[in-house]
Amino acid sequence: MRKAMLTLLAGIVFMLTAAAQDRTITGRLVDDKGAPVAAVSVTSSDGKNGTQTDRDGKYSIVISNKAKTLTFSSVNYETTTRSIGNLGVINVSLVNANSKLEEVVVTALGIVRDKRSLGYASQSLKTDQIADRGELNVVNALQGKIAGVSITGASGAAGASTNINIRGITSFNGNNQPLFVVDGVPISNDVDRTSNSLFDSQPANRALDIDPNTVESVNVLKGPAASVLYGSRASAGAIIITTKKGSTKGGKTEIVVTSSYSNQTAVGLPKVQNDYGQGLGGVYNPLSTSSWGPRFDATPTIANGLIVGGVTQNYKAYPTNIIDFFEVGSIFDNSLVINSGDAKQNYIFSLSNANNKGILPNNSLDRTSLKFGANTVLRDKIKLGGSITFTNTLQNGIVGGNGGSALGVLAGLARSIDLTSYKTKGNYKNLDGSNNFLIPNIENPYFGANENTTKSNVYRYLGNVNVGYDITSWLNVSYRLGLDAYTDRRKQVYAVTSIRNPAGQIIENTIVRTELNGDLIVTAKKSNLFFKKFDATLILGQNVNQRKSQSVFLQGDGLAFPGFYNISNATTLTNGTFETNTTRRLLGYYGQLSLSYSNYLFLELTGRADQSSTLPKSTNTYFYPSASVGFVFTDALKIDNGFLNYGKIRGSVAKVGRDADPYQLTNVYTSAAYGNNVAAFSFPLGTTAGFGTSARIAPIKPLTPEFTTSYEGGINLGFFKNRITLDVAVFDQRSKNQIINVALAPSTGYGSKTTNIGELSNKGVEVLFTVTPVTNKNFKWDISSNYTRIRNKVLSISPGITSFSITGNAFVGSVPSIKVGEAYGVILGGVIPRSPDGKRIINPATGLYQPLIAGQVLANPNNDYSLGFTNNFSYKNVSLSVTCDFTKGGQILSFTSGLYKSRGVLAETGVDRELPRILEGVIEFPAGSGKYIPNNIQIPAQTYWQVLGGLQSEFNVYDATVFRVREVALGLDIPSTKFTGKFLKGVRFSVFARNLFYYAPNSIIDPGVNTQGAGNIRGLELQSAPNARTVGANIKITL
Amino acid sequence: MKNLQYFLVISLLTFSSCKKGFLDVNTTPNNPTAVPPSVILPNITIATAFANGNDLNRAASVLIQHAAGVANQVAAYDVYNLDGAFDNQWNSEIYNGALNNMQVLIDQYSATSPAYSGIAKLQQAYLISMTTDLWGNVPYSQAGKGLLFETPRFDKQEDIYQGNSSLGIVSLFDLVKDGINDLGKPSLLLPNTVSDIVYKGDLTKWRRMGNTLLLKLAIQISNRNPALAKSTIESVLTGNNFINSNLLDYEVPFASAVGNRNPIFDFNNNLRTGDMMLSSRLLTLSRNLNDTVRLAKFFTKPTGNFVGFDNGSTAAAPALANRSKYNAYLTGTVGGEAPIRLMTFSQVNFILAESALILATPGSANTYYQAGIMSSMQKVGMTPAEITTYFTTNPTVVTLSGTTEQMRQQIITQKYISWIGNGIEAYNDYRRTGYPVLALALNASGDNPNVLPTRLPYTPAELARNPNAPNPRPKSDVKVWWAL
Repeated sequence: MRKAMLTLLAGIVFMLTAAAQDRTITGRLVDDKGAPVAAVSVTSSDGKNGTQTDRDGKYSIVISNKAKTLTFSSVNYETTTRSIGNLGVINVSLVNANSKLEEVVVTALGIVRDKRSLGYASQSLKTDQIADRGELNVVNALQGKIAGVSITGASGAAGASTNINIRGITSFNGNNQPLFVVDGVPISNDVDRTSNSLFDSQPANRALDIDPNTVESVNVLKGPAASVLYGSRASAGAIIITTKKGSTKGGKTEIVVTSSYSNQTAVGLPKVQNDYGQGLGGVYNPLSTSSWGPRFDATPTIANGLIVGGVTQNYKAYPTNIIDFFEVGSIFDNSLVINSGDAKQNYIFSLSNANNKGILPNNSLDRTSLKFGANTVLRDKIKLGGSITFTNTLQNGIVGGNGGSALGVLAGLARSIDLTSYKTKGNYKNLDGSNNFLIPNIENPYFGANENTTKSNVYRYLGNVNVGYDITSWLNVSYRLGLDAYTDRRKQVYAVTSIRNPAGQIIENTIVRTELNGDLIVTAKKSNLFFKKFDATLILGQNVNQRKSQSVFLQGDGLAFPGFYNISNATTLTNGTFETNTTRRLLGYYGQLSLSYSNYLFLELTGRADQSSTLPKSTNTYFYPSASVGFVFTDALKIDNGFLNYGKIRGSVAKVGRDADPYQLTNVYTSAAYGNNVAAFSFPLGTTAGFGTSARIAPIKPLTPEFTTSYEGGINLGFFKNRITLDVAVFDQRSKNQIINVALAPSTGYGSKTTNIGELSNKGVEVLFTVTPVTNKNFKWDISSNYTRIRNKVLSISPGITSFSITGNAFVGSVPSIKVGEAYGVILGGVIPRSPDGKRIINPATGLYQPLIAGQVLANPNNDYSLGFTNNFSYKNVSLSVTCDFTKGGQILSFTSGLYKSRGVLAETGVDRELPRILEGVIEFPAGSGKYIPNNIQIPAQTYWQVLGGLQSEFNVYDATVFRVREVALGLDIPSTKFTGKFLKGVRFSVFARNLFYYAPNSIIDPGVNTQGAGNIRGLELQSAPNARTVGANIKITL
Repeated sequence: MKNLQYFLVISLLTFSSCKKGFLDVNTTPNNPTAVPPSVILPNITIATAFANGNDLNRAASVLIQHAAGVANQVAAYDVYNLDGAFDNQWNSEIYNGALNNMQVLIDQYSATSPAYSGIAKLQQAYLISMTTDLWGNVPYSQAGKGLLFETPRFDKQEDIYQGNSSLGIVSLFDLVKDGINDLGKPSLLLPNTVSDIVYKGDLTKWRRMGNTLLLKLAIQISNRNPALAKSTIESVLTGNNFINSNLLDYEVPFASAVGNRNPIFDFNNNLRTGDMMLSSRLLTLSRNLNDTVRLAKFFTKPTGNFVGFDNGSTAAAPALANRSKYNAYLTGTVGGEAPIRLMTFSQVNFILAESALILATPGSANTYYQAGIMSSMQKVGMTPAEITTYFTTNPTVVTLSGTTEQMRQQIITQKYISWIGNGIEAYNDYRRTGYPVLALALNASGDNPNVLPTRLPYTPAELARNPNAPNPRPKSDVKVWWAL
């Protein structure tokens, strides 16, 4: 496993050039399985020279006559010393040290480091913790496994995006998703949101284009100290993905074929009652969308309003009418990987296809990716390598959200409505193609799902070229050029007679993004620099980055006739049609000096200066430094007492700057539009154009970069030869001078001004704890757990501004906001007034609650803490891995839950329905006295539940505490020794399940969804798809 | 040394791509940084009309009981639950839609092209009067000026109407006069049939609009400052250059194409078809006045009969297909192309009738009153025969009689009917005069369930972002300045 990671060293391995020395010894180092071991430090007893093994495990060292022994040391292996004698070749088989703490990790810019030398937290996952688990999105595959990281998917729909935040939110309005880096090249993980996230089909985050089957390791750089070399882009942390490389054991060709199939089912919906059907006030009403009608055993017996084959259907319960709308999804995932070659010349070819039929009708994801990569060494000094990956991702979705969408109608569907007859194509629409449903002016869910469709077709190219040159034994120059280019062609259709766009609408949206990134890196490395055991590495680099995007959004309204979804069928093409282009460029200059003494005391100093195109010339060059120290006190103090065998304390302070978005420095005019989803106008009016100032006003004072400063301390401990390890990190981050479009008083005539203002703080604790309770020849049990607790607080915004909404789409009355004194992202809305002792006040005239007080904190999506734990059991060739996670606290506002209540569908609404209710609360009595008595006013059950079911009511805010069995995988390895022929080298069978079980004690719906997906808005469930449970099997054949 | 040379060569190769200009890519290709006034004028006109015809109109129309709310927000407004609403109207339609762009025209074109700044001032005066009438004290003298005033002062309504030089507040009367004055100056650029969607570039008609606006402003403050009201109206009458025909109404055209439809249509006939309908109280009033022929121009009769709904009722609403909803006069014959009517000839007649009655301005109150009814009936499309029939069969309705107060009630009641579809004007008159007499909505709630709201609550965004906003906000039972 480590071998492939270590191959990354290629770029920074130093070869020794011959000088006037006495003789050369060469050799090859292998591990206990015979695999080459790279990056082992080789020193001779004369103390003059040292080198490292290359990716093929080979070394070559020049020694003087005085040298008696060679010492081979590496963090992952026991240090070995051999006497030289007259030998010219010394091959060594190294003994693996049981050292979870002492692994190598890929840090910023692809620099491979001993984990022990780092002064900051970093956590990595290997391929076997990511792949073959029935998960197509690499971000989801990290869930529950990384401390300090919060990951929530939008829903279980195929391709829905996933939000990931590392160490909380650090920017008010900037992108708080971490930077994704694949093989040293930054790539886009954008959602490219051009639709209204309240009502759209949950587009993907583009990291989805990465096939987990090709991933060798994922390393998470959490704080600014870890990511400072990436500069501004990584101020929200970085996810460093390393893909598999070509070289194989022994330079032979290896072919790996993987195939998996899984099923998906919808889970997490509220429970329903099945005693009462369509109607209001106990009376059957065929126009109602609610289930407040009569009991099913009462009249009417035939009155459903649904006519199938000319027969009016009985008035009765259809207990599974909601859940049956969701389909059994499937994922069929196949890949072929061919590796060939040795350390010097090698190539990799991979081809994979994943087809996911989602849990919704008409919802699918199909991803095909093709990769070719090769590496070569020219004239022993120049390393040349590169790869190109082509991916085609097709996503089909259906629009969701409140009101006129399939999911909006389905949420709390009346118990007596049977949808099965509509499922047949042709039944959900009339002969003229219009919406057909038994309730007029309500969209048939199957009409919505089949006719109002969205498609996304992504063609993506990821390429990189590396060239490295060893100038001398201690000096290397390398250049890496990366390209990420994709085109996403989207089409969204609203059929004629759809509720949202009765006149029909076609949107053609083409999004093109390209990113070019070049890094010139000069590395100088010297062991025993001034005195013995003092090693130094200096890296100087220069970075050129260009990001371009174009989005052409063509909106055709008013279809001439139904059923023909070509843009030429639109009668109006001007509303909402626009084109957006952006170009931004960055030049960065950076340096890193790493010093180590005796491999137990480490100091690292880093600095980076950026020049950004997006800031004013006077302020567009900015510098930020970091410093970190690590001290392995067990080595320094020679502690290894059978109890404590490893101990390191570390600390870091870092600052990272961030530039602005493009085009923030000037005022612009935009084509004017008014209104929202209930009434809207947009220019031009016929042929008359209408322009106005944009809502944002440009800064008067020059913008300056924003900075996040972080202080981090930590300790790593290993007990009982690392059978128990503990890794604790505490951090305190302050983000100041945020470049934000801070809200202005609307009466200024503008919605916001771009300025530097505000301060946000994140404090947190991360703990990683591993135990190996049992390990022997046949059986091994590992427990790995992580704990995260982050406290986020908005310290200040701007004088006079106490709160403003997060950029994005929101419903008035539940607005994700930035509010001084609260955590980032609280949802502001109306709350019921309270008596002095905190009880809700009832209106004595009605028995209902007093009118809401607007603008209060309705919900806080930030959790108290989260826990993840993975148990790995292996017995001989069988392995079982179980990952669970637990989130305490945090809140979610659930529209679906509201509808289940107000529509009389939730199980509890069917209990004692004929009995009156009393809302919990107090009445001021006598009026105006300030004294309160408990509410005693009876109201009908229907009224009661309609109050509790108000969409944006505080009663639909749920505690999101949830325990989840995230992932279970049972595998059987049949090793090569079982096969007699040379052909088959290994077979692995596994069965797996994701989201197998959840328990949310305080929520009637699975709170592990976030309808608006990746972005700064969290904590809202707006009638999106529920989560999915995936169960499947996998076979992997190595040839 | 040689190694160093290698390093320099590679560095230079990299840097050569970064020559001067590499970072000069921050000029937006997406939006213009300057536009001609001819594309701003249509915007401020539509913005004003959209603000008038959209959610504020829906709220005012149910409060004033032209219509009844059946579902969603309109149903909440109907029972006086107004808190937390109207952010979109205040933010996006009024202040960051109309007002800011009016300010752009005024700031940039007063010197060179006063034809544009003049129209902007007239529409600004209309917009501000609408805003202060609904909310009371509102940002005006410091509003819409961007970073010049980041926390605009809430000017007192009396200062907005009457001016306050020590605070730098120009009265709305002076703003109108200033606008009319601008229209008379030589102008480099002139609005034309495309950019002036109301009067097609005819500045003389804008002068009439300005003078009519003076009448509207005058009658609005007649309770408080009868002297100013009287002198203003008399001066406009003397000038005799105001809207004197239905053809000259200040009304903003919309179109039937998707995205160009008027908000009354787009809400009621397209996107929220089930949320509001005819108020049964208006139906009763119309029936009592035998005025259902006119009512049928305002509201549909899908079943052949009017089907109304009581304000605030929690009973099951009539089937959607049967409900009386806004008719073609308000929604358009094709769909959405009906104009939003902001000032009308019949309004002028009713103003002059009322002022003749209470301010003793020239002219016969009864003549103006009858002209008001007549012009309304003509406007909504009643045939001359229908109008004649109404006048002959309902002499007591169409003739002022009784005490001054009774006559005033007659005038405002007729004005109320003529304003169906523009609830804001009817709501203003109701709060100023108390007519027509309205009963509270059923199941009333809100700040004070016992008072038909006398103002709108300030909106959440302004309250959160402007420390000059009154906090706590005045309750919606506090009267605005001009309401006695």
